Formats: sequence, C-alpha cells, structure tokens
Amino acid sequence: MTGYDATVYFIPGLGFGAASAALFAAELGHRFRVIGIDLPGHGSVPDARDGSVSALADAALAAIENAADGGPWLLAAHSMGGKVAALVAARVLSGHANVFGLAGLVLLAPSPPTPEPMGEEKHASLLSWAENGALSEAHAQEFIAQNVELSLTAAAQQDAVAQIQQTSPLAWRRWVDTGSREDISSAVGVLDLPVVVMAGENDPDLGSSVQPELLGAIYPRAHFVSLAATKHLLPYERPSRIAAEVVSLWESAVSVAPPVDPEWGRVIASARTDAEARALLARRAIADDANYTPRALSLAQLTTFRALADRLVPQPGVHRIDLAARVDADLAAGRGDGWRPFDLPDDATAYRRGLDAIAALWPSGAVEQDALIGTIIAGDLHSGVPWGTTGFRRWFEDLRNDLARTWTAHPASFARIGYDGFATSGAGITQAEQAGHAGYTSLAAGVRDPWEPATLGRVEGTQDEPE
Amino acid sequence: MNLNDMRAFAHDEVVDVVVVGTGAGGGPLLARLAERGLRVVALEAGPNHDPDGFTNDEVEAPRINWMSERFSGGEAPTAFGPNNSGWGVGGGTLHWGAFCPRPDIRDLHLQNEFGAGVDWPIEHAELIRYFVEVERTIGVCGPIFYPWDPEREYLEPPVDRNASADVMALGCARLGIQATDSPAAILSRDRDQEHHGRRLANQNLGTIHQGERYGSKATTANTYLPSAVSAGAEIRPDSMVHGIELDALGRVCAVVYRHRGREFRQRCAALVLAGGGVETPRLLLNTGLANSSGMVGRNFLAHGAVQVWGRFDTQIRGYRGYPSAVITEDFVRPDSVDFAGGYLLQSLGVMPLAYTTSLVRGGGLWGGELMDALDAWRYTAGIGINGECLPAEGNKLVLADEVDEWGVPRAIVTFTPGPNELALNGHATATMTRILEAAGAIDTRVIARTAHTLGTCRMSSNPEDGVVNEHGRSHDIPNLWISDNSTFPSALSANPCLTQMALSLRTADSMVS
Repeated sequence: MTGYDATVYFIPGLGFGAASAALFAAELGHRFRVIGIDLPGHGSVPDARDGSVSALADAALAAIENAADGGPWLLAAHSMGGKVAALVAARVLSGHANVFGLAGLVLLAPSPPTPEPMGEEKHASLLSWAENGALSEAHAQEFIAQNVELSLTAAAQQDAVAQIQQTSPLAWRRWVDTGSREDISSAVGVLDLPVVVMAGENDPDLGSSVQPELLGAIYPRAHFVSLAATKHLLPYERPSRIAAEVVSLWESAVSVAPPVDPEWGRVIASARTDAEARALLARRAIADDANYTPRALSLAQLTTFRALADRLVPQPGVHRIDLAARVDADLAAGRGDGWRPFDLPDDATAYRRGLDAIAALWPSGAVEQDALIGTIIAGDLHSGVPWGTTGFRRWFEDLRNDLARTWTAHPASFARIGYDGFATSGAGITQAEQAGHAGYTSLAAGVRDPWEPATLGRVEGTQDEPE
Repeated sequence: MNLNDMRAFAHDEVVDVVVVGTGAGGGPLLARLAERGLRVVALEAGPNHDPDGFTNDEVEAPRINWMSERFSGGEAPTAFGPNNSGWGVGGGTLHWGAFCPRPDIRDLHLQNEFGAGVDWPIEHAELIRYFVEVERTIGVCGPIFYPWDPEREYLEPPVDRNASADVMALGCARLGIQATDSPAAILSRDRDQEHHGRRLANQNLGTIHQGERYGSKATTANTYLPSAVSAGAEIRPDSMVHGIELDALGRVCAVVYRHRGREFRQRCAALVLAGGGVETPRLLLNTGLANSSGMVGRNFLAHGAVQVWGRFDTQIRGYRGYPSAVITEDFVRPDSVDFAGGYLLQSLGVMPLAYTTSLVRGGGLWGGELMDALDAWRYTAGIGINGECLPAEGNKLVLADEVDEWGVPRAIVTFTPGPNELALNGHATATMTRILEAAGAIDTRVIARTAHTLGTCRMSSNPEDGVVNEHGRSHDIPNLWISDNSTFPSALSANPCLTQMALSLRTADSMVS
C-alpha cells in the first residue's frame, strides 16, 4: 500500500519549474503524491535537443517513467505545460511510453495543441527579454504583472521571480518562437478521458472564454471551470481552487474505475508488454463517463441494459465498469463477433428490440429479476418476446457474452483472475532471439517467472508463497 | 509475409491456375504447382499481415479471423468469427492451434466398419508420404515413441508441457490411459525456414490462436507461401472472389474479384477453390456451379469439441505455454460403445475471454456463479476432445437473403448433433471427468462446444453422392478443383489441418500429372 490515493504529476508553464506546484501541493496534503517536473531549460535541467514540443514531451515522460509506481496518476499542467501534457497523454494512451495508470488531466490555462493565440507585439516583447541572456528581474516582474489579476504575496512574488530568472533564455526563446506555434493536433488526436480545464476570466489569450472552443473537440469529456478575478498564473493565483478541482475530478470522475494493483501496473508499463497491448489496457482502465450518451441504444434501453448487467455480471462495491455503456459503444462502432443466430436481425437492432421487450417485463426486486433471467435462459419465456422463445434465448446469450467479455478484458479483471499474458509479446523477433525468450519459462502449477506479479505463484526454486 | 519482388501476372493473361484462399488447402498446393513450373495466382480475401502486427489481445486479435457475418441455426449453432475462420494471407493457419495429429487409418472407412456415414474414396496408405512431407516441411514436433503408431517418427522433440498438460498426464497415468506429448506444428528448435527466414523455437506463449509473431507456429505464410512466391507464384491479398466465368464448353475461364473497391477479372486455365468449408460452398451456391448432385452445402460436419474443466488447489494458469501439449488416442476406438467412430483427447489451456465465452455459452453461467468460475479460472485445468461427426440431412449450409459487403448472400449454417454425436460426447465427458478426478480435481465443469466447418462439398466416387472426386476435382466441371475442408466426407477424429495440407499436395500432384 502506498498511503496515497494517486500521484499528480505537474508540468509547469514557461519560466516555471517543479517548485511552482508547491502551493497547490500543500493544499492536497497527503492524499496525493505531487511530483513537479522541471522541463528542459528550467530548474537545473539542461536545454532540450531542439525547440519542439516533442522534445519537451520526451523529457516529461522520462521524469514520469522514472517516478512511476505503477499506480494511478493524474497529469496536471499549466500554460505551456498544457500543450506538452496533451502530447504526453496521447503517447501514454497509445502505448508509446513505459508507464501505465493515466486517469485524468487537470489543465490550467493550457496552451492548446494548435498554434497558441499570441499577438505579434506580445511575441516580439517576450522574445526580446531573452535576447541577452537570462531574464532580468525587471522583466520577470513585468511578466508576472502581465499575467496576474491581483498581486501575489511578497513571498510568492519572490519565488516566482526567482524561477523565471533561472530559466534558460534558449528555452524561453524556443517556446515563444517554435513550440508555441507548432500544430501538434494530429499527433494528439482525441483524448477521451476525465479532464478539467481551469482558466481565468481575465486571461486575454488563454482564458475561460476561449478554452472550450480551443479544446472541446480534443477532450470530449472536458469540464471547463471559469475563475473570476483570475488571469493566467493559476498555480500562484488560485492554488486552493486547483487542489479542490483535483479532488473533485478524482472523486467524481476517476475513482469509480476499478483500481489496477500497482504491481500489475508496473508489468503493463514494462517493455514486456507491447505498445498496442498497453494502449488497449490503458484505455480500458479509464473510468467510464457518468454522463455517457448512448449511441446505438436509447437512454431507456441503456438503463435497462445497465440493470441487466448488474444481475448478470455483478460488481458489488464502489468500483465498477459501465459494461452496458461499453457494449453500446461497440454496437455503435459496428464491432461484432462474426456471426449471429440466423433468425435475428443485425446486432444493434436486436439489442434495441430485445431490451425494449425486457423493459416491459422487468420487475423491481433482485430476486424477481433473477427469476426472469433464469426463465429467459431456460427458454421458458413465451410471451412478450420477439423472435420466439429460442431466438430470444439466443439473443440473450449474445448479450450475456458481450457483457462478460467486456468485464474480463479490463486490466483490473486480468489482475483479479490472474492473467498476465499481455506481457509476453513485447519483444520483436530479433530481440526475442537475443534475449532467449519472449514468453514464459515457468509453466508448472503453482510457480511463476520472476517478472510476474507475486500473487501468481512462487518463483521456481524458492519457497516464497504467493500473497 | 514478404510479397516484395514477387512475379506479377496480367489480368488478361491466361494463367495456368487461380487458387482462391491461402490457408491449409491453398498454400501447399500453390507451392507445389509453382515449383512444377506452372503459372499460378492466389487470390486471398484478407490482407497480407505483418506478424509484428499480431496482437495477443483477444478483443483485437480477430483481425486474423473472418468476421463478415455468418448466420447459425440448429440446436448447436456454430460459433464463427475467431473460432474457425481465417482472414488474410495464411488463411485459417493464422489462427489454428497447431495441434497436429495424423488421422487414424480406421476413420477413413466408417461406413465399412460401422455401416454409418460414408467412406473416403482414398486409401490411408496413399496419404502417409504426404503426412511425412508436410511434417518435415512445416516442422512438426512430437514424442520419440508414438504409442498408437510405432512406425512414426517425429523429427523435432516435443515442446514443454504446461500445468494443464501435467494434470492430464497424471490423471491418465493413474487410470492406465496411454498419454504422451502431442504432435504439434510448433518448432522446438530455431530454424531458418527455406524462402522465409528465421523462425524461433517455441516461446511458451499460450496466445497462438491470436497470431504468433515469432514463427514458432507453422502457418502457410511462414512455410509454403514463401516457397510458392520464390518459385514464381503471385499472391494477391485484399482480393475477394465472388464470381466464376465459364466458357462455351462449360469450363472455367476466369474468376471475378473485388480489390480495394474495384472489380477485376483474372483469366485462368484451371481454378482451385480453397476458401474453406463455408466460403467454397457459399461461392458455388451463389454462382450455381458444380452442383448437379445437389450436394453443395450439404452434409455440414462439425467436430465434437466438448471440454471438461477441473478445479485444483494450486494455480494452473494454463494460458502459459503451448495450450495442448498432451494427447491420448486411446479413445479413437473406445471399447463397448454404441456409437461409430471415436475421439482424441488433448490437454487444454485457454485464454481469458475465450474461457469467459465458454462459461457463458457452453456452461450457461451468469451472476455470482459466473464470477466465481472466473475467479477459479487460474486454478483450472482442461481436457477437450476432437470427436467424430456423422453427416445428417438437416446439417447444411444455405444462402440467406441478406448480402455481405461484396454483394454475396451470407451463409446460414444449421447444425444439430445427432444420436451418434450425443453418445460420443457423453462417453467423452465421462472419460475426461474420470481423468481429472484421478488427477485430484476438486470439482469439474462440462462446456459444450463444436469446432471446424467440414463436409459441405464432399468428395465421392459416385458423382451423385458428392461434389468432387478423390483428388478434389469437380464431378461437373473438369478444370475446377476444391482443396479445403469442404471436401471431407467424414470429420475424422483428428483435427483437420495436417490432413488438409496432405490432401492439398496430393491434389496438386494429380493436377500436374
């Protein structure tokens, strides 16, 4: 056990380092492990190889991989960091990073994946401050003044100025001239995970009035928070509110997802798991959207389907997978299993009619519901059903199969039932030949290979018992 | 596979042979014909997969399976999709389990022995040299001594047994049932496969049904097809054949196929259909060809594949290692039974989603019972059968009204096990239960299942009784051949792939002679 619920990694904005997380980290207390990241050219970290957002994302990912414990994490980011975070998240969710457990994003006045809206004068001015070496104290003060609505405390001001002055002028110029202007939207794609976007009402370029149109299509589940009397330097202006939104995101949107044991998370993150498998597991691990709008079924049909799922694939407790919603998404995407009972219509049509029929019969108590289910499975339900008794039984068997497979395919389910086969094809053929093995060495009952999670058996040749 | 530097034929060139399908029926034949100097083109409906693009995730792995819908009926509807149909260069061998027994000599003559079913118009003795050749070419491993055929020699030592294999071996030993390492088309030693390249020895993955990227499992794509291309054959992926043209003499003169949304016509002097037990009859029914006997689509056979799973108190985790490492053929002709034919037994490991489906469909589980069974999966070892199936009037493939994405009517396959299958399944279930209990199983569970799609264009001596002759040549159209599981007149107790590859070579040899 780690003692904390999750980790929050923080990617700061231009001119700021890991230390800029201190104020909101203090508000979060021990519930979250907050790890700030010094990007290249910030803190004491040397400059990147070039001015691309990709190089910054490489550095951020390296820091995250280094600190990762296999457990769940949120990625928070401010301003420039928000653009880097988009690329980091895209890579993580596509399996192209050796880390697992990304559960949500907290974006503070983020710079978008598209070229950042910035006036020519501002652009020229920012560039000029870094022409002759590190920024002067006067320019640092001016930068802060331009980006806060109300003055900071003296201590905060001093801290912020110090960080800005520590920034590499090359890194500063590179962001203003290259990074902020890059369009990385095709590399980012659409990121369907819990996201909160916070921005100030008084921020002229990246404020609350423009964030929805900048990010709405990229983060379909984004919740936008508008902060009154706030400009751009959110980590200094609104640390308490940031902490509150982190907690709110975690509690309302993220923590409903079944947790994946961190030891399993580390195996998923490792090179033993190939990128595609890791991407699939990463996406399945993301919490379902409480506001999911069904695409193949009506809301009433989805409600019936969810009630059925509760009886057919019970998930007692606070953590659950919205199995019915996931099957609805599969139906809408036309994903099938290659066959169907000959007298049934196509899968989506069958689901709609079948669920309507069940809704008309659905009783209110669990005992009665189970009795109805038993009757359908036995092929004894004769009235009120389309396709006849046998046809209805067969459709219901397809429904049961869809729900059950959706449950099993979740990484938390794999960990629960003891399946780690996703971690056996990470090596390409050349690596496998060099390493001697891509798969298992121990095959006997009760034993495991050393890399496998401890609950799967004892390492051959030892006396260790599984937990 | 590598299709660079491949010879390409023009569409209006009359090639010697067009082969439809690149699996166990099409692959060996393609190589043989090309090596004999014939100008041959294979048309494969699916894509040319890069083995690095295989995934062991069961949700996504069906990229190697035929997923365009089939319809199922009868009391035991066949489950298509990932269960029995390949898609892509390599066909069904992309997803097969590499379990590679030879057919028992007696299984070719059920009618003669039991008065049931029909006999193969082929003598087993003719096939032996083909089994030997295929086993050597693709790399089949097996035990030093094979109890049910002492003359047989496997050139590669067996692969490692996993925990479920150990369970079956223990139970059989305690009951005096002979059991040994399974013949398997899995390399136990690295090999440089001629014309293909490096194939690694068994990596102890349990995920071979999802496509196997290291080449340990033999597919036509890492054996026969590279040889075919090297010898001058052309393979066209993403090419769905949906039409056959005849000349004025009633002989095949061209095939019509769709490739990337456009129609093409390839002229040919002969045609081999090798698309499998569903696609070949579907194509013939749709074109109305080669069916004067009315037997196209009839006599659909599916192997009994019932499984029994036993729960133990240690973690079995049979998804590790080759899934079916132990075999017994002691029940190919069980004593004192009232059914024709018999069954093989194999030890079983299974992947999590496949097992989930088995519990739901074959086991009828739901709710708390289902969750308990899933939680017990890691402690569970399985045994399964491959069992004989007799032809029956009602078991057949017909065309539906609904058409697929190529405009071809979908197939409806109806299957109901008959008295012979039910009796055999009952005997097999009792046998497997005894074995698991002898091995110490705390409790057992039966999962009903069938496998494979056979018999729908069966071979016969009498043209009224089948669709092709013993060499796979159509009774109606002299330059039309079939080389796939649709030609099987009986299911056999052995899994079909090795037999199919042998028949494929034999058909090729008869085409050139």
